[in-house]
Amino acid sequence: MSENATPKPLLEVKDLAITFSTPDGPVHAVRDANFTVMPGETVAIVGESGSGKSTSALAAIGLLAGNGRVSAGQILFDGEDIANASEKRFVELRGNHIGMVPQDPMSNLNPVWKIGFQVKETLKANGLAGDNPKKRVAQVLADAGLPNPEARANQYPHEFSGGMRQRALIAIGLACRPRLLIADEPTSALDVTVQQQILDHLDTMTSELGTAVLLITHDLGLAAERAEKVVVMYKGRVVEYGPALEILRNPKHPYTQRLINSAPSLSAVRGDKHEAAVEETSPAKAEPLLTVSNLTKVFDIRKGFGKKEKFTAVDNVSFEIPKGTTTAVVGESGSGKSTIAQMVLNLLDSTSGEITFDGQQIGNLSEKQLFKYRRRVQPIFQDPYGSLDPMYSIYRTIEEPLRIHGIGNSASRQKKVKELLNQVSMPAATMHRFPNELSGGQRQRIAIARALALQPEMIVCDEAVSALDVLVQAQVLELLDELQREMDLTYLFITHDLAVVRQIADNVCVMERGKIVEQGSVDDIFEAPKSDYTRNLLAAIPGATLI
Amino acid sequence: MLSFTLKRIAQLIPVFIGATLLVYFLVFATPGDPIAALSGGKPMTPATEAALRAQYNLDQPFWIQYGLYLKNLVTFDLGMSFSGQPVADLLGRAFPVTARLAILALLIEGVFGIIFGVIAGMRKGKFFDSTILVASLIVIAVPTFVLGFVLQFVIGVKLEWAKPTVSGAATWSELILPAMVLGLVSLAYVIRLTRTSVIENKSADYVRTATAKGLSRNRVVRVHVLRNSLIPVVTFLGADLGSLMGGAIVTEGIFNVPGVGNLLYRAILKGETPTVVAVVGVLVIVFVLANLIVDMLYALLDPRIRYA
Repeated sequence: MSENATPKPLLEVKDLAITFSTPDGPVHAVRDANFTVMPGETVAIVGESGSGKSTSALAAIGLLAGNGRVSAGQILFDGEDIANASEKRFVELRGNHIGMVPQDPMSNLNPVWKIGFQVKETLKANGLAGDNPKKRVAQVLADAGLPNPEARANQYPHEFSGGMRQRALIAIGLACRPRLLIADEPTSALDVTVQQQILDHLDTMTSELGTAVLLITHDLGLAAERAEKVVVMYKGRVVEYGPALEILRNPKHPYTQRLINSAPSLSAVRGDKHEAAVEETSPAKAEPLLTVSNLTKVFDIRKGFGKKEKFTAVDNVSFEIPKGTTTAVVGESGSGKSTIAQMVLNLLDSTSGEITFDGQQIGNLSEKQLFKYRRRVQPIFQDPYGSLDPMYSIYRTIEEPLRIHGIGNSASRQKKVKELLNQVSMPAATMHRFPNELSGGQRQRIAIARALALQPEMIVCDEAVSALDVLVQAQVLELLDELQREMDLTYLFITHDLAVVRQIADNVCVMERGKIVEQGSVDDIFEAPKSDYTRNLLAAIPGATLI
Repeated sequence: MLSFTLKRIAQLIPVFIGATLLVYFLVFATPGDPIAALSGGKPMTPATEAALRAQYNLDQPFWIQYGLYLKNLVTFDLGMSFSGQPVADLLGRAFPVTARLAILALLIEGVFGIIFGVIAGMRKGKFFDSTILVASLIVIAVPTFVLGFVLQFVIGVKLEWAKPTVSGAATWSELILPAMVLGLVSLAYVIRLTRTSVIENKSADYVRTATAKGLSRNRVVRVHVLRNSLIPVVTFLGADLGSLMGGAIVTEGIFNVPGVGNLLYRAILKGETPTVVAVVGVLVIVFVLANLIVDMLYALLDPRIRYA
């Protein structure tokens, strides 16, 4: 900025208020928001879902949902107030002045058009296609780090992996060299190592082009690592705003302090696991409750004309889980970790190998034995929105397993449901409500209560906290930890998030492409990782280098 | 794609045999004597009756009758109707008329259905949308014969914009009015289907991304909403083509259209097995081909669908 003595802000948000009109009256999604983005600067907005972070950014590109509007304040883009600009003005601004990289790469590319077409129309709409649009498209895709761009441009989105799609979306967002790029959780749907590559690449591209970035994220560690300034939003208000490192090291607002304390990516690096849990679990003494030996799962993939291809999802995997401890299976998508969970739950047959639970092989259980086994091993799944039946009341959801297994009469079952709700810190009155009336964290508590109903010895958590905001995630992890100590539960914890592993696990298996590449105690894995793959995973945790 | 198409066409053979066998059996098992129906209940000599039975193979057991029918079919002999005309001739006259009628009806419901559906979907909850929703509900609720007679009376008799009935030639222009009646109910469904599909697609993430790229609203709707919304509509239209070709007995009756519906109706009343089975057989082929076209259009509209 030396050539420009007093740089003018590129984006200035002043006293912004955004209101959505709903059948139940207006909802104030954003109130009194103030922040500034200088040319070429990266500013991160951090907050949990519903904090108004995405809404604020979408208002700057005129993409609020139909029932939302800017009800007060200004959004100055290069001095011009665009808070209530016409649709025509926004069409002019979008693409070549303000670009966007959206959140979910799976749903943000139109499945019926080729990637090249979707890039080309961006260039054309902004008059930048030039004489040879094909070459421009290839160039733009190559810039975003897509190998073999000419061929790739001829493919459809479903032929791309998640990371590739996100690169295509970055290519689209930056194709017309906008001065401001709104990146709305650009990597939260991706594996950590891919996330790191993509963000590195985005950094390089935006600094080369001199593009300012408004980065929206729920991950404070990531924000602090990537941005110069951080805006912390909570319930529609900006609660803290300033240089990234300063906020991270010296948070003033109680919400920011809580956020930093519970951010798994940051605590993972600090290594502050719940002390009590460390003391109580002494893995050496305990008997293995679950033993998995040489477990293999091969899937047949149809290739047309009756041709099949073998795909080994789980390859000769062995591990043990001592009673009363937590073993985490960590890996990126496609590593086979969820397949293991399904085989342990006996929802999927193994191709070879054995799973032994409490001295009994589960591969050849009779119908009756299997029914008994199900009572002893219960699952908690990732998506608390999808795994609860929306037509069942909370009472019915929790009571159902008791009824199926013929436990007690209706009076004793009702008492039991109340107890269970109490155990997961939910008021007993919740039982008359329905899943859609509860938040994500509350639903996951209900899922835990349902899993506990049959007093199982082991719980298989398949990405049980991945869909939750950090604060809620920390609460749920704490609850799981407490329950383990109270009831001597054993957890098989499937996750892609190494940061969470440090908070909950005693032992860790790191998986890559169906194989266990490393296993050991959680401290060994974090302090002295042996394989390169583990080291890469650890290094990719955002914020790792900051504290 | 080619092997998929061939496989589907090969499937026609068992489907055709199964369907004709079933229909043949149903007509065979229907109570009532076709010979008695043929003579109009008048007494006839046992010799004449036996000769007639022999002529139409009615004296043979079921399997032989069906076997003879299939044998003739291979040589493209569809048999004779009771009035002594070759069934092939009857079909040859009725099918082009019904085909014209069906194509017109399909055009009306496809073109207007998609246009109105898209507009209603884009303006959800506004005046146009509400009007269209109510109007389509009325059309769905009112029986075809009411709709047919009202339109025939208003447009054909009072306003004299079109001929109220169809001549033996059944030209394109004469068929517009019956096609309107025939297409109207499906039109209402197409509108509603398109509307729902558009509403669902216009809030899709990729539509927002397309807007964020700087595309005009017009282009976003044309390129990103429309194509994705057409997939369920195409399925409906394809299936509808099959049923339209089956002839609309009520509509053809009202407008006196000499089509397949009329032919089939009269043949069933008379228990004229060769005609009924031939018509149904052709309809089966039309149905399977219409579905094949739908599947191919699917793959054209949605590249994620690949047939092997």
